[in-house]
Amino acid sequence: MKLKCLPILLVFALLLSACNLLPDAGGNPRAQASERSIWAMDTQMDLRLYGDSDGKTMAALTARLNELDRSLSATDPDSDLSALNSSGHSEEPRILRLTAEALAVSEQTGGALDVTLLPASRAWGFTTDNKRVPEAAALEALRERVGMDKIELREGVSVSLPAGTELDFGALAKGYAADVCRARIEEDGLSGILSLGGNIQTVGSKPDGSPWVVGVQDPDDAGRYLLTLELSGSKAVVTSGDYQRYFEQDGVRYCHILDPKTLAPVRGSLRAVTVVADSGLRADALSTALFVLGREAGESLWRRLGDFEAVWMEADGSIWLTPGLENLTQGDAFRVIAP
Amino acid sequence: MKTKSWILLFGAVFLILAGIVAWQYLGAKPAGSARIYADGRLVRTVDLSKDGAYRIESAEGWNELTVRDGRLAVTAASCPDGDCVRCGWRSADPPIVCLPNRVSIRFTEAGELDGVVR
Repeated sequence: MKLKCLPILLVFALLLSACNLLPDAGGNPRAQASERSIWAMDTQMDLRLYGDSDGKTMAALTARLNELDRSLSATDPDSDLSALNSSGHSEEPRILRLTAEALAVSEQTGGALDVTLLPASRAWGFTTDNKRVPEAAALEALRERVGMDKIELREGVSVSLPAGTELDFGALAKGYAADVCRARIEEDGLSGILSLGGNIQTVGSKPDGSPWVVGVQDPDDAGRYLLTLELSGSKAVVTSGDYQRYFEQDGVRYCHILDPKTLAPVRGSLRAVTVVADSGLRADALSTALFVLGREAGESLWRRLGDFEAVWMEADGSIWLTPGLENLTQGDAFRVIAP
Repeated sequence: MKTKSWILLFGAVFLILAGIVAWQYLGAKPAGSARIYADGRLVRTVDLSKDGAYRIESAEGWNELTVRDGRLAVTAASCPDGDCVRCGWRSADPPIVCLPNRVSIRFTEAGELDGVVR
């Protein structure tokens, strides 16, 4: 009797397992998601939430992102940041928060992050459609207006700038926005994934419990991923590279990320660096600093701080990971840096 | 149960499984589509199974899209850098983004990825 039942049971077991191969078996997680795309901070933002049945959280996120855009824009003359840049003084809490983080990362990275480079960016034409190589003398003349030492921060009270010095939070604002959105999504007990102009923020867990799978774009081919990262829980993933905004003149590529030491576009062996961290603000700030530093100095920073993971993509095609990402990564050949 | 019956039974189950797998991986997939956003708003959804040409106007400029053989490309644009045109022919994410014109094109067949960091 037992022997006769066995084949029937086996058939049932095989058929049941086959059912799991069917597409959308058990419900496609994307089908339960609500999605919205908006334009803010000069970029497209794609928001996907799970469980936001009444759309309240999505509406709140949209409102917050638009508000942050108005507040932190360096080009909108009515923004809180423009008010600081024109008056030299601000007591706006989020301006203080971003300034404090910028100063902290600048100090930790030996000045690799500098949020006072707006006049130099202007000289290179990165704030306009007219990008060009400026005269060396013109850049030198800007030195008295730039530098993190120009910022006077009274923690939690105010920030002051000398006349001519301006802040630009391009290296931090999207990361800060990701933190603000994550807090709201978690507060509402939901999960989701946000792409704020290519900055990825995962929040909570996917409905089916599987990890978030994030592709890291190939700097040479926007249609290709160099590798994928499998991430659990709330993580920020941010890339800085020479391929996002740049121009070429006389066969030389000039990227939009400026080296604070030279006031010129970073000219190293790195194509891009991706940072994974718990905080969006920190991941955003660190990715810029790590790109300026280059891989070897970046590795030292990782060993010293240890509060982030990173992927370095070199011009020779080599890819380097911090050890914490090794088991979360699928992709082309990569090397793991020494702990 | 005789050996022959066993063989028949497992043969049948194998065929069913092979059929399911073949249907899933080799069978006709639904035609992909592309969603076109201008200034952050969805302005058009394009069926990639039908060849055609489209002109997208945003507040900042225009982009001309061509669909051919199941793929889409920005074939001309008013933007100064032309990054969107250089993206070439695509049928899957990552999206084609034209930052100066505030136009982006996302594909429905995004594979297994939840997001792309760039």
